[in-house]
Amino acid sequence: MSSLKNKEKVQATKYWRSYEQLAETPEFKKLLHREFPEGASEFTDPIGRRKFMSLMGASMALAGLAGCRRPVEKIVPYVKAPEEIIPGVPKYYATTLTLATSAYGVLVESHEGRPTKIEGNELHPSTRGRANALLQAEILNLYDPDRSKFVLNAGARKTWDDFAAFWAGQYEKYTANGGAGLAVLAESFTSPTLSRLKKQFQRTFPKARWVTYESVSDENIYEGVRIATGKALLPKYHFDKASVVLSLDADFLQTESESIHNNKSFADSRRITSEHDSMSRLYVVEPVFSITGSMADHRLSLQARQIGAFTAALALELKKQGLRLDTSGLGGYAQHDFDKKWLAAVAEDLRSAAGKALVVAGRRQPAAVHALVYAINKALGAAGKTVSWYEPVDKTLPDRKATMALIDDMARGAVSTLFILGGNPAYDAPSASRFAAAMRKVENSIHLSSHVNETSSRATWHLPRTHGLEQWGDARATDGTVSVVQPLILPLYGAFSDIEVVNFLSTNTHETAHALVRKTMKKAVPATSTDKGWRKILHDGLAEKTGLSAKAPAVRASAISRALSSQPFAKDKATDKNPELVFATSASVYDGRYANNGWLQELPDPVTKIAWDNAALMNRKTAEALGVANRQIITLARGDKSARFPVWILPGVAENTIVLEVGYGRTSAGRVGDNVGFDVSPLRTSDSWDFTTGVQVIASNESWMIANTQDHNVMEGRPIVREATLEEYRHEPNFAPEMVEYPTVPGPDGKPKLFSLWEDHTYESGNQWGMSIDLNVCTGCNACTIACQSENNIPIVGKEQVHNGREMHWMRMDRYFVSEDEENLDEPQMVHQPMACQHCEMAPCEQVCPVAATVHDKEGLNVMTYNRCIGTRYCSNNCPYKVRRFNFFNYTKETPEVVKMAMNPDVTVRFRGVMEKCTYCLQRINEAKIVAKREGRELKDGDVVTACQQTCPTDAIVFGNINDPDSRVTKLKKQNRDYALLAELNVRPRTTYLAKIRNPNPALVTGEKTEHV
Amino acid sequence: METAVKSSVDVKAHGAQLIDGNQTFHSVTEKISQITEAGTPKMWYVGFGISVLLLLMGFSMIGYLIWEGTGIWGLNNPVGWGWAIVNFVWWVGIGHAGTLISAILFLFRQRWRTSINRFAEAMTIFAVMCAGLFPAIHVGRIWMAYYMFPLPNQMAMWPNFRSPLLWDVFAVSTYFTVSLLFWYVGLVPDLATLRDRAKSMFRKKIMGIFSLGWRGGNRQWQHYELAYLLLAGLATPLVLSVHSIVSTDFATSILPGWHTTIFPPYFVAGAIFSGFAMVMTLGIIARKIFNLEEFITIKHLERMNIIMLLTGMMVGYAYSCEFFIAWYSGNEYETFTFMNRAFGPYAWAYWTMIFCNVVVPQAFWFKKLRTNIPFMFVATILINIGMWFERFVIVATSLSRDFLPSSWDYYSPTVFDVGIYVGSFGLFFTMFFLFIRFLPFISMTEVKGVLPQADPHNYKH
Repeated sequence: MSSLKNKEKVQATKYWRSYEQLAETPEFKKLLHREFPEGASEFTDPIGRRKFMSLMGASMALAGLAGCRRPVEKIVPYVKAPEEIIPGVPKYYATTLTLATSAYGVLVESHEGRPTKIEGNELHPSTRGRANALLQAEILNLYDPDRSKFVLNAGARKTWDDFAAFWAGQYEKYTANGGAGLAVLAESFTSPTLSRLKKQFQRTFPKARWVTYESVSDENIYEGVRIATGKALLPKYHFDKASVVLSLDADFLQTESESIHNNKSFADSRRITSEHDSMSRLYVVEPVFSITGSMADHRLSLQARQIGAFTAALALELKKQGLRLDTSGLGGYAQHDFDKKWLAAVAEDLRSAAGKALVVAGRRQPAAVHALVYAINKALGAAGKTVSWYEPVDKTLPDRKATMALIDDMARGAVSTLFILGGNPAYDAPSASRFAAAMRKVENSIHLSSHVNETSSRATWHLPRTHGLEQWGDARATDGTVSVVQPLILPLYGAFSDIEVVNFLSTNTHETAHALVRKTMKKAVPATSTDKGWRKILHDGLAEKTGLSAKAPAVRASAISRALSSQPFAKDKATDKNPELVFATSASVYDGRYANNGWLQELPDPVTKIAWDNAALMNRKTAEALGVANRQIITLARGDKSARFPVWILPGVAENTIVLEVGYGRTSAGRVGDNVGFDVSPLRTSDSWDFTTGVQVIASNESWMIANTQDHNVMEGRPIVREATLEEYRHEPNFAPEMVEYPTVPGPDGKPKLFSLWEDHTYESGNQWGMSIDLNVCTGCNACTIACQSENNIPIVGKEQVHNGREMHWMRMDRYFVSEDEENLDEPQMVHQPMACQHCEMAPCEQVCPVAATVHDKEGLNVMTYNRCIGTRYCSNNCPYKVRRFNFFNYTKETPEVVKMAMNPDVTVRFRGVMEKCTYCLQRINEAKIVAKREGRELKDGDVVTACQQTCPTDAIVFGNINDPDSRVTKLKKQNRDYALLAELNVRPRTTYLAKIRNPNPALVTGEKTEHV
Repeated sequence: METAVKSSVDVKAHGAQLIDGNQTFHSVTEKISQITEAGTPKMWYVGFGISVLLLLMGFSMIGYLIWEGTGIWGLNNPVGWGWAIVNFVWWVGIGHAGTLISAILFLFRQRWRTSINRFAEAMTIFAVMCAGLFPAIHVGRIWMAYYMFPLPNQMAMWPNFRSPLLWDVFAVSTYFTVSLLFWYVGLVPDLATLRDRAKSMFRKKIMGIFSLGWRGGNRQWQHYELAYLLLAGLATPLVLSVHSIVSTDFATSILPGWHTTIFPPYFVAGAIFSGFAMVMTLGIIARKIFNLEEFITIKHLERMNIIMLLTGMMVGYAYSCEFFIAWYSGNEYETFTFMNRAFGPYAWAYWTMIFCNVVVPQAFWFKKLRTNIPFMFVATILINIGMWFERFVIVATSLSRDFLPSSWDYYSPTVFDVGIYVGSFGLFFTMFFLFIRFLPFISMTEVKGVLPQADPHNYKH
């Protein structure tokens, strides 16, 4: 049988085992022996058990605010009910949320004036109807009960008028002296209005300084392009047009800018419908295991410091193979010790795919790498095809050097008034403690911030800042497309937007943000001068045809070689005596700004599966060399600064590299984010910003409780995520369903079906819901998990409960490591599998429920009756996929009143003691049915879109009626890669998976095994 | 007095007298009634006090459990059942010996049972009470647990008759009812004896009510014996059915390690095994404290040891059979589950079970050991520990590592899991102490029936 070979292969494959089992660490041994004592601590401290939950109840003061708050410019009092509002029927508004220089067009669901869910805007070029985890979690940020509510002066509660009076004096002083001693430290933004107001500010105060600062930014990227071309440009990648992609430390699917667009276009280049299709090839060279690395066909783990030299060696190799590339100044990198075969094969592949090739470098890499990558991309003919560069119009770009200079000036006392526009430099500036100290030398420091954070508490004035969904504004996407920010709700706590404040600073008069934005828009988009035009842009969320034209200036090779000679790439490797420290953006809390967001804190990292923490990630060899074990606390010392971290052993991290995620260890984030994880800022100074060496590792004998949602990382040889190479797939197109053999009989449709002892119930009429998940394009980005959490009112349970294995996510992301052989245990491949209720036709959960609380409906849904459930948990025990979630406690009991506003009114909030699980978004099915009925038509394909499907940036999830032969899901299920997980149990899941295909380079597969550096 | 059983088997045919010490009808009445009539021994207060304290601790923990939710236990996502279900199965198992000794041995005319059947039955009832506690409190919404019963309601909802948990409800409640009736019917003549001996008015009244007007007349004896026989007949299939049905909680699921057809007989054997061990443990203590060595003789103990040797080998056979089938089936999940039991993170529990349940009873091949009271006392306790671990191994190891490795997790109990289990001992012993203090814990009627004097042919030499 053709499947046999594959099956043997799968079984022969040695899967990477959990390190704790491999290493027989004390932690693991302790685990074995602590069967009984665990929980003794619980007895003495019943509060600590659910720290998060009890903290959630700390403030209930906002109960009165949960009413209906509509944006003031559009609001009509309910004396006359507005025509369009039907209670219970949500409205959708287009707006834009910005993150640093990125703008994401979104569509926000609003229930009676209460925004509840964020989706992507189909029209917007950065989202195209999709969203990521961070974007969706903004809804919880809006309703964060810890947001600042008052103007503060030296900690005392004041009013805006008090501040206005204060500023009037300052304004007089600084207009007189031209702004000497006045400085603004702002987050970077992408807004025509703010850009205009900034210019206005600079005209009013010509001697004032405006410094832009971000903890995580694309600074290295545009600085690199500036070296190469003389102009700072921001790239936008078109992976869909690329057939060969090389990523140099670029996690473009998760933590880099434009991740939604990247996911979507990358998936488009990987999507196949049959064995005759072709797909792109991805090479990844990185020091950290990222989800981008998990999608790689070939992955090389390399220390971050070596990537520069690798890029140089690649340029030389490309040149050697005949690419027209000026490599002057790279001579010193010819003698490299990288895997020559690997390098040559990659170069060959890139070169032969010229015009369809793309090299992407990550923001962590120094500017010179980006300069070189720009030159390579130009030479490969990528410009305008697989990558477009755009001018940063209406954007302010962060500048670390200027920030450092400002801090110096502050320390010298040269700054008398400092206005901090957002951000949290006292926490995340280079040497944050130095910034905090320098703030004390500044006479007046004013911080506009959504929270009273580490910086606010040190500032003399604090002004509450609006959330993106509470303000008027505008934005430009990377490609320049103009969009409008319209408020969904009045500011919950009387806060002020950046636009209003900056305008006030430079004019000393109030003007509403709405008026200011319209003024800008009239110029930028003339169509908006009419009411109709303005309404159209509000409706669409963006102004059509406002994109910029891409630029691709010529390469200045001499400038690149000058930059390289002034700051050459490291040629040596970090050793275990002098390991490398790499700072990574957190996939959950970004740079720390999402630290008080419970959804994101509880979202397991897509690679480590750690929730509620960051850790010092390193591979097993490094840990062995350093003599440290998993969960052991180590002190990392650099110079006179040091910080403590728990160790987490992760395969795929480059040897002698220690990875630290930024954004944790906040001390003034709020009830959720305070003291979660460990702060990297003592180690992250301006000279060690992205990665560094010279770190001393001191092991302690303490260990740290790390909550991770997946203890076991291997598939144990089981055909769970089924995978083949494109070559294998072409030879055996049916490898996926044939990987498991079981007795079959011919089914009604001719397809073999599992033998059954009785006559099966047929689901032949009406809508029969089913889902298809394409593992080939799923990147494991976690967007679906948060979409589901937001849609279905899934509670947050806190670190301790996650540690106890009680996380509530209906949609979880399983992640397995796969190694071809023993030697590669430390360099495994990674696969992802979204896992939610499979809606089995013969659901094992239903049969065992004593009270019939979980039953089947006639459309093939496995439905839960919460009211009927008594919580025996038998259904969960009998679920082979373990997708059922039990409310062990009343997790929503202490939800603050304001957070309840984020709840979806169409979905029941579950009480303790009941089981819950994915419903296939039953509320959306019913909503679609009602709409169809009202319109007097049948449901058609695409009417029902589940939350996970809607947000999935790779379109990996497709839902629909499997009885409809023309529906997308039916067609996907007919593909030969389609397989039902655990089909041999005869449970007949309605969710099936499309097997994963990798596309390795034949030149690297047929020969000897690749050797890793 | 007549023999309780119209036995065709000559007592002496068994080769030995069942009761030692040249007892007469009068001495039997005296010795056994006297325990309930004389002053309370100090040790009783100590034992009862400790039991009540444990009971109170257990019940306050249950109160906290109901207040807070099942989250106070160590359960997690793959392991939805933990100690509560282990304890339930364990207590039900213990509850088997009583009815087995009373009913099945009665039907098989194993007359040596007479000395132990009363307290074995009492133990059954108390053990089933402890067992019944756990399924009730382990549900998430205990105040809705009545949904399990087929009560008419406005929702026109029946419980799900396909669910083994529902079968449990019926099986255990039926078993409890029949066991209680059986025990009570057996008590009636003895209660009448106590009534007749009672000195205080109050005692006379109480005993009078509960002895249901028993006068010991011939017709009463006839009816009584028929009723007893019928109840024995009714109880016998229940002995087999209860644990068979409890085993279907596991056997009908699709979980590797649970989904196996061997479970019903294997569970029944295990239940008898553990039930006998508990009867032994209690019997050895009771005969020592109340000087009843003449009633519960070394022969009784030896026979029970032989039954434990037999049932211990049956469970041992079941253990090995499971492994064989796991290998023979070629099912990778099944194979993994059993390898994981023996060599995975719960291997310590598995090998504890094997040692206690398979290795320890082998000592009973040797007459010296099976008649050695200190040894058998330790052995019976070990067997009960082993049987607890058997259920723990089945429940926890199978759940903690099932089909998808991504959801695997390790389960450890909290102080509340342990506390409520200990509290169930409090309930058990509180009941037991009350029982031995206020009721004749050896059946006077039946013991008299096996005395040589009861045999009409006894005096024919």
